[in-house]
Amino acid sequence: MANKINLYEGMFIFSTTLSEDARQKAFQKVIGEITERSGEIEQIHEMGRRKLAYEIEGHMSGYYYLVYFSLAPSGISEIWREYHLNEDLVRFMTLRASEVKETLEFKSLAE
Amino acid sequence: MAKLPRASRSKKRKPCPFTQAGIVAKEIDYKDVETLRLFITERGKILPRRITGVSAKHQRKLAEAIKRARMVALLPFVAED
Repeated sequence: MANKINLYEGMFIFSTTLSEDARQKAFQKVIGEITERSGEIEQIHEMGRRKLAYEIEGHMSGYYYLVYFSLAPSGISEIWREYHLNEDLVRFMTLRASEVKETLEFKSLAE
Repeated sequence: MAKLPRASRSKKRKPCPFTQAGIVAKEIDYKDVETLRLFITERGKILPRRITGVSAKHQRKLAEAIKRARMVALLPFVAED
């Protein structure tokens, strides 16, 4: 019971004002928060720079990453606290995932 | 009051686009912005299924996916002009 591990997916949006290096570093920090709490990274998708659908704290675009990871549920609230303090992170969202998606391709609605 | 005859409009229900494409409700993903865009108005509002013909089960998952996409700024809450 105490050692329950869940699969999660996290979407992380970084500021585009960061340099390539700084962004990599910021991303490693985000990943670090998970691995520090004995979480495991299953898959990382770099979704690249995208225009935000609406302005967030002055940002008009963001650099998107999607990470599948497994972690004990108690770790989630801890990493949330860290992420909220992270200024380079424009927005993040973590969700329970049922499976790790190897590619970010979707079936289309053939008409 | 006498019932007025309904204006002639075919009662045939549109087929659900997801069911037709063989997409299970669980597979509707908030990251699939291209597809989600087909089910919102220009303002960014979720289209009612009476217009799109989406089945109830798919519509529930679709609404959830659209709301998630909004949280991560993949879709707008409201689109101005």
